[in-house]
Amino acid sequence: MTKRKMFFRMITASLIRRRSRMLVALLAIAVGATILSGLVTIYYDVPRQMGAAFRNYGANMILLPDAGNGAFNSQTVDEALSLIAADQIVGVAPYRYETVAINEQPILVAGTDMAGAKAASPYWFINGTWPENENELLLGQEVAQILSAGEGDTLTMVYTLSEADEDNPVSQTSEQRFKVVGVLETGGSEEEYVYISMADLEKLTQPAGELDVVELSISASQSELEGYTQTISDRVDGALAKLVKRVTQSESTVLTKLQSLVLLVTIIVLALTMICVATTMTAVVTERRKEIGLRKALGASDASIIWEFMGEGLLLGGVGGLLGAGLGFAFAQAVSVNVFSSSIAFRPLLLPITVIVSILVTGLACILPVRSATEIDPALVLKGE
Amino acid sequence: MFFRMIRGALTRQRGKMLMIALTIALGASLATAMLNVMLDVGDKVNQELKTYGANITVVPKAASVLNNLYEVEGGETTEGAYLREDELGNIKTIFWAFNIVDFSPFIDTEVSLPGGGTATMVGTWFNHYLSLPTGETLYTGVQNLRTWWDIEEGQWLDEVADGADTCMVGAALAKANGIHAGDVIRVNGRYADANLRVVGVYDSGDDADEQIYAPMEIVQELSNTDGYLTSIEVSAITTPDNELAIKAAKDPKSLSVSQYETWYCTAYVSSICYQIQEVITDSVASPVRKVADSEGAILEKTELLMVLITILALVGSGLGISNLVTASVMERSNEIGLLKAIGAPDRSITAVVLTEIVLTGIAGAVVGYFVGFGFAQIIGHSVFGSSIEMKAMVIPLVGVLVVVVTLLGSIPAVRTLLRLDPTVVLHGR
Repeated sequence: MTKRKMFFRMITASLIRRRSRMLVALLAIAVGATILSGLVTIYYDVPRQMGAAFRNYGANMILLPDAGNGAFNSQTVDEALSLIAADQIVGVAPYRYETVAINEQPILVAGTDMAGAKAASPYWFINGTWPENENELLLGQEVAQILSAGEGDTLTMVYTLSEADEDNPVSQTSEQRFKVVGVLETGGSEEEYVYISMADLEKLTQPAGELDVVELSISASQSELEGYTQTISDRVDGALAKLVKRVTQSESTVLTKLQSLVLLVTIIVLALTMICVATTMTAVVTERRKEIGLRKALGASDASIIWEFMGEGLLLGGVGGLLGAGLGFAFAQAVSVNVFSSSIAFRPLLLPITVIVSILVTGLACILPVRSATEIDPALVLKGE
Repeated sequence: MFFRMIRGALTRQRGKMLMIALTIALGASLATAMLNVMLDVGDKVNQELKTYGANITVVPKAASVLNNLYEVEGGETTEGAYLREDELGNIKTIFWAFNIVDFSPFIDTEVSLPGGGTATMVGTWFNHYLSLPTGETLYTGVQNLRTWWDIEEGQWLDEVADGADTCMVGAALAKANGIHAGDVIRVNGRYADANLRVVGVYDSGDDADEQIYAPMEIVQELSNTDGYLTSIEVSAITTPDNELAIKAAKDPKSLSVSQYETWYCTAYVSSICYQIQEVITDSVASPVRKVADSEGAILEKTELLMVLITILALVGSGLGISNLVTASVMERSNEIGLLKAIGAPDRSITAVVLTEIVLTGIAGAVVGYFVGFGFAQIIGHSVFGSSIEMKAMVIPLVGVLVVVVTLLGSIPAVRTLLRLDPTVVLHGR
């Protein structure tokens, strides 16, 4: 029998024969590894996931027309959007404002893309429903009070195409009947407008006009956003990109805090867990002083004893690490689904890291008690002193 | 005899028992730190979220309609069109006064500038010193409510040091009119003129870039609205809305008496709004949904995240402790075999072993609690810059956890050992 074969046989035999003790050790390592891989995955994923939650604050970038530098319409917007990574765009809401008359009162109407507005401003609270069909409108709360209108009412919008002057004694107007399907509550200036779809607005005002502003909700860090505003303003004719400071600045403040919270928690939990793993391993090894004494008495060299124990520890560390990496990912996934209702990406790099850290911790935990056991006289150890 | 055995075991096996105590202390400190942080994280994050500014605005019942749609300007101080300045302090007397972090009044008017253009001038508090009827004093104003402003030139206006004839100018307006910090500009209001020294130029990234912010008295003088306000912004710490809060927000009268009590005595944004309306005459207080809703969502997510991480840490430390306890009990097979061989009944063997382990565990847990509290403070100070509150409920939680976990770890091991034949055990197989 070769030396190597004997080495492996001793390791596997000791693992199998001392099943319960080894299970205890394996469990300890697996728990440690689970915490390591689970928490690190969460730590790396928190900014992305939390960033999505922060998009509740609404648009963090706006596009404005760059006067005298080309048209500002849907093509301009598409051009600008092509410069932003598609998976970072949460919502795009173009707005075009016009003054119309409803019940002879001047009212500001905004044409927008309803689905885009819903995505870009998730905080809009609608009493009723979002407009889905043609000729439906959303009424801002304040306008609703002025007009004393509400859900289900029908309103007629009158748009003045051209004012009356000397040539045309009668002003040209166009009219359209709209059904109120919802009343918008935001607590902000949005309540002062009436919202209709862009197509309806274009029908009312006839020639397709330019946009006034486009609100973008982008899930990206502040520096990325700054980069986007720069490239859009430089490369897209007719559009000027600006950050909504209130949102971006506050978001980066709060997000930095949250991330450092998770980081610190991760560090403390990891440090404590690793010490826990190490003490358990130490306890398991200390128990085997007798065995070490016996082997020494039989003439085994210190080095071979240390190697054997290390081999055992490393095997345990490896298996426990693998197990923990899998369980940790499952935990991170569960957290992500429960907290952020989205799945988490598997980080391949974390697998070797978890296994290596587990092996290192178990190795370190084993080596100290084995060392001290080999240093004493075998006779004393065997006698049980 | 029982006590002597335990004392003997604890002193003679000092090294081993110390190791168990150390592991339990580690586990307990982990549990303490995580539980304390988890229970306090809501308050802490809520404070951080205040950087988004006010989450409640208070306007007079009829104001916005008059101003924005009929372009009626200040001057005619009709009832219901303005809020009263002398009622401002009342905001800090409501049931949830303690939750109101900052608030600031606003009054705005149109002014014309020497260059010929016009601008909106907003009168407000910057860092106003307020002494309340309750004896409390605080500094409040836009300096706390506009944390995202970048000061491009000069500095924040200081109400006391700079005096009344001062202002801050938005970056866009300053650029268009060539105004710099330190300049003195002449503004013409509808009822009076004033020479104001520009203390700072700010970049806000919104409409305020086109406006002038000045101390309240000077704007009231320019628009002849002494003692009146157009709006109040309030920043309050709130509890995320639930079904009750949504129902109450629509109509508080639809609630039953007990529901009403619960709602009124919970810091929902709607109940704080309702209480503000009670103390400010002819006012409408409404949540700024953008801020209030997002705060709720972010708070909920952070809390849930911390709860799950805490559960993981608790399970981890629990398994760690019970593991070590199992290992250390198994190790004592010889001793247990010997006790059995000299005729000790199973029950007393179990009692001796368990008492030893639980005593060690409690000692470890006490040390662990204080260490863990230290860890919680480290987290609190380095992340939020304030200490984590000591929650009393953590003590019994950690105690129960440690006792349950040590018992769970030792009972199965003791039972396995008791089932073994003493001769086999003593023989060392």
